[in-house]
Amino acid sequence: MAARLTRLTQVLMVLLGILSARLVQLQVVQGARYARLSDRNRIRKLVLPAPRGRILDRNGVLLADTRPSFTVAVVPTELTDSALSLLAWLLGIPETDLRQQLGPVAMFASPVNVKRDASIDEVARVQENSFRLPGVHIRVDPVRNYPGSNSYCHVIGHIGEVSKEELKRDTSLRQLDFIGRAGIEAQYETLLRGRDGSEYVEVDARGQEVGPLREKRPEPDVPGRDLTMTIDDRIQRLACRLLMPYPRAAIVGMETRTGAIICLVSKPDFNPNIFMAPIDASTWDSLISNPSKPFYNRTVTAGYPPGSTMKPVIALGALRQGQLNRHTRFQPCTGGYKYGNRTFKCNAAHGSLDLVGAIAQSCNTYFYQAGLRLGLDSLTAYAREVGLGRLTGIDMPGERPGNIPSREWLDKRYGKNKWGAGSVLNFAIGQGEVTATPLQMAVLYAAIGSGGRAVRPYLVARVDSAGQTIRTAAPDVRQLPTRPQDLAVVRLGLERVVEYGTGTGARIGEIRIAGKTGTAQNPPRPDHAWFVGYAPADEPEVVFAVLVENAGHGGAVSAPIAGQLIRAYFSPAVESPSAPDTTASPAEAAPASEPGTRPLRQTPATENREW
Amino acid sequence: MRRFDPGLIIATLLLASFGLLAIYSSGGSYYFLRQLIFLPIAVGAAAAAVLVPRRILYGLAEPIYGLAVLMLLAVLIAGTGPGSHRWFVLGPVYIQPSEFAKLATVLLLAKHLSYKRTIGLNFRDLAVPVAIVAVPALLVMVEPDLSTSLVFAALLAAMLYGQGMRPLHILLLFSPALSFAAGFSLYTWIPFFVVLGIILLIRSGVEKTLIGLAVSAAFGLLSPVVLSSLKGYQRARIISFVAPWFDPHGISWNAIQSQIAIGSGRLIGKGLLQGSQKRLGFLPNRHTDFVFSALGEELGLVGCLMLLGLFYWLLRRMLMAARQSGDSTGSLLCVGFAAIVGYQMFVNIGMLLGILPITGIALPFLSYGGSSLLLNFILVGLVLNVVSRPE
Repeated sequence: MAARLTRLTQVLMVLLGILSARLVQLQVVQGARYARLSDRNRIRKLVLPAPRGRILDRNGVLLADTRPSFTVAVVPTELTDSALSLLAWLLGIPETDLRQQLGPVAMFASPVNVKRDASIDEVARVQENSFRLPGVHIRVDPVRNYPGSNSYCHVIGHIGEVSKEELKRDTSLRQLDFIGRAGIEAQYETLLRGRDGSEYVEVDARGQEVGPLREKRPEPDVPGRDLTMTIDDRIQRLACRLLMPYPRAAIVGMETRTGAIICLVSKPDFNPNIFMAPIDASTWDSLISNPSKPFYNRTVTAGYPPGSTMKPVIALGALRQGQLNRHTRFQPCTGGYKYGNRTFKCNAAHGSLDLVGAIAQSCNTYFYQAGLRLGLDSLTAYAREVGLGRLTGIDMPGERPGNIPSREWLDKRYGKNKWGAGSVLNFAIGQGEVTATPLQMAVLYAAIGSGGRAVRPYLVARVDSAGQTIRTAAPDVRQLPTRPQDLAVVRLGLERVVEYGTGTGARIGEIRIAGKTGTAQNPPRPDHAWFVGYAPADEPEVVFAVLVENAGHGGAVSAPIAGQLIRAYFSPAVESPSAPDTTASPAEAAPASEPGTRPLRQTPATENREW
Repeated sequence: MRRFDPGLIIATLLLASFGLLAIYSSGGSYYFLRQLIFLPIAVGAAAAAVLVPRRILYGLAEPIYGLAVLMLLAVLIAGTGPGSHRWFVLGPVYIQPSEFAKLATVLLLAKHLSYKRTIGLNFRDLAVPVAIVAVPALLVMVEPDLSTSLVFAALLAAMLYGQGMRPLHILLLFSPALSFAAGFSLYTWIPFFVVLGIILLIRSGVEKTLIGLAVSAAFGLLSPVVLSSLKGYQRARIISFVAPWFDPHGISWNAIQSQIAIGSGRLIGKGLLQGSQKRLGFLPNRHTDFVFSALGEELGLVGCLMLLGLFYWLLRRMLMAARQSGDSTGSLLCVGFAAIVGYQMFVNIGMLLGILPITGIALPFLSYGGSSLLLNFILVGLVLNVVSRPE
């Protein structure tokens, strides 16, 4: 053992020798340099901010990018009192405010931003006086910029400064970092955010950089990924323009086969760029206190009673159960249906109709009776099976599933059996407690038009990293429990709706459209107007769901909007705008509209009253 | 006949004094006074450790070890600490069971190994020693405190060597673990693998070389598999945890600041309490893990070399105590204790000098911390015990 103990002692001597040699290297060989560095803390870590990824429409139109912004930053420990006064004067900030801003952090040697997004003038003034402003630095930061229409404020969302909690949770974030707060920006945060680089520099006594620190390699930044969206800017802008007269509305356009979203508009909207600069109180207050809730994304979050757009679901369910066939006729419509001691109204006295006619005329009396045959439980179960009451799975935060008032739900809401049998009648015409989002209706109608194949809607088609595509969207399709022969009947009904029924306002001539109007009751306020339709009717490529709040009848308001959008979708995007809508702002007057376009608001050829 | 080793006592007390000085200088009077209060307690505990009959101590090795393991389990469940479970809070006192566990492990391991004549690279000889060390080491590792758990590996290697195991066999025993640790990157793994292969070829047969390399390769390959199954940020965290030197960000900010502090001390330092404490303000544990940086800045090369000399003196006396001990258990105790102190000293100072990764490990006798001071003094007391009463 003795020899081994000697050996261990030798090992110890070697280890101590290594430490001693390093000590000599640090304290003698490089001692002077380290003494100089320690004289004052003369190393500064510079962050090289990574630009956030860009967001483009399907044709490469820029919707979000990053522009340079000048930030005046201060290292509090290096700032003298006189420099503080001068800086306050140069930037036009009251000195007390500046002092307050620096107050709690005055002991730190890391820079504090005192003026974000400074103007070129301000930057020049600070630069000129830089010799009198020790500890003051101008930094160029990438700032998010949304050059597109305001109608993108919900789809693309915006970014915002990280909170203290988020900083604690995610160590890769730093103070003053911005992260996605809504829409695509939030959903794809990890792809859009790059990785900041860093560099250590040695600075002289005046705080001026003299060069990079030798001990430390600079680490280059990694830019964020670019996202190409499925949105077509031309259609998005047109949708936005068609909604000009209406304060609260939503439009969803989607490719029926893939689920690629073509446009997604929710009104009211706002300018997302306001989040990039310190927001002033009055702008913020007006957004927050706006009773129309501009932050609310009506396309995926808001549940509306689907109204008559629900009827195809009732028809499909009853057909599948064998309770109904194409030629079934019920008790004729006399403008209402007597059930128990109550009369449930219809929009007209339709007389005796078969199923196709009942869809075309949107006859409530017919569907009350179809609903009664099917029963509440079968109805609600079927509605769930075709995707109502559940999320579509769109790649966007904030989606809500709507509501299907099943027996359990009604029991819970009103107490066991304390609700009326009229619930099934209301459900059959899409009124009352049943709600669906415009997106859900678009997906549902796309499936009806495409043999029951329900797609998962998506917004991002492609992800690129430094010009290389690293991911493309793969459509995700689910087969709904529908039979081809049943679909054929319903589709015929939907075609008739536009041909001569309640939805003639959607007719555009060259392309056959199939769809359904709906009028969602919203007592005591005016009804909401629905139209959901796809085109071409035989082999649909595109579906639009249009909802305009408090605008009355779907046939009058929403169907023409859908028609315009479908026409624009199928026409080449070359014409210059000759918009009949004079209220469109110049910035938004880009979309095409060909000669012969109808006036935006028009009375449908056939005046059909419906619920 | 009672012998005594005044050198050991003097070296210990001088080191503790150095520590008090540095704690006062870097942490202020609050931490200084707290540490000062602990000192008589530590000295008392050391005296008790000198006096306890070793036969009784050896008899209690298993219960003490069991208690240590229980404490480690308990701290995992009920412990506190910044982002981890390392401490118990008992009123004003923080208790760190891992310190106690090191001592208990050395005790039981010494007792067990001393029964063995020879130790070969086989399951029969190694199963129990490895298990004795692995249980507390793994419990410490999940606290998570990887750097402290590596102390257990160091003491195992030293004690196996002390009891006569061939260095080559020790290397082979540790090679799978080393291979796993090096395996996260080809740049560390290939050199490791090549060096291992060369050593094996020189020191043993082709067949053994192949087996050794195969086992290592298997563990090395496991490492990327484990890593790739993790999410990006988890991976980054683990790599910076296991191997901060691999961090593409390069040497850390703390390491740079520590080097500036030490380097700026130059030959004779800036003088006691003259170091610019403000600058050390951003070192998170300046009175604990970074205490040597303050000494280096204020006392310069001369002071640092004196400190290293003191450590050399202390560790040499501990190894000499191992030689003087009448019983092999006592010898192994001394070797194990010397391994703990030596390893922590080298890793702590090495990281502050920028030649080892920054990990959370205390400098024995100097860093602020009651548990650590107490246990280090008990450890010296036990070495004195071994010297004073050969059995």
